[in-house]
Amino acid sequence: MATTTSSAPSTTTREPAEPAVPTLIPAVDIYETESQFVLLADMPGVAADGVEVLTERDTLIVRGRAERQLPEPDYQEFEFGEYRRTFLITEDLDADSISAKLADGVLRVEIQKSDRLKPKKIPVHAE
Amino acid sequence: MEPRSQRHPLQEMRRLQHQMEHLFAGLTPALRWPLTGEFPPINFTRKDDGLTLEAMCPGIDRGTLDVTVVGDVVTIRGQRTEEADAAPARYHRRERPTGTFMRAVSLEERLNPDSAEATYRNGILRVRLARAPEVTPKKIAIKS
Repeated sequence: MATTTSSAPSTTTREPAEPAVPTLIPAVDIYETESQFVLLADMPGVAADGVEVLTERDTLIVRGRAERQLPEPDYQEFEFGEYRRTFLITEDLDADSISAKLADGVLRVEIQKSDRLKPKKIPVHAE
Repeated sequence: MEPRSQRHPLQEMRRLQHQMEHLFAGLTPALRWPLTGEFPPINFTRKDDGLTLEAMCPGIDRGTLDVTVVGDVVTIRGQRTEEADAAPARYHRRERPTGTFMRAVSLEERLNPDSAEATYRNGILRVRLARAPEVTPKKIAIKS
């Protein structure tokens, strides 16, 4: 699995009257166990009903909306907005086996390896 | 002109830093946190009835989250550990730091530690703080 996109510079002019929702790129970990790939994405502020995990052909898309709960802050180091990141699903992964859950602002997506990649024990026959 | 340009220069610098972070997120993920300087990033809002501080800290082990208030300083501590099945695993990408953190923030107003309340929801720690009684603004009734 590999990341395919990062923030592309926008070529459109911004309407000052309607401030755009900031697009945020979640930090991710991707690791591989014997049977599956695990993707962890930090999406703080996103509630369970605000997250989506989609597959489109060979692309996995994770996105989520973090809504600000308070008025405009007087001091600000982070923003709420729309998290979005896409990943390439190679044929080594079983795209039909994807499962996802969200806890404490961390999205966990599990994708099973295709049978071809799973380790197989070969029986050794004694002669 | 956008209202953002009226913000404090330091805050504008932070914003630029965040944009840089996002630009580099796909290229040099390991640099993300050092670029921000301090963890967790915070926002705060001042109102007549008190202050609210929000800290962005997803996936923290709840038992380790600790908030203390002394004078005008709020201190946040916590820990994020690796997933249990990640230890023997092979990483393809690793952008999410783990470990312990501590951040102390001076809000420059004396706070009442007894009335502080904290919640942790969807990876956001929210601390509601009241001013110390001696600095709480009092509304003066105007006699006719």
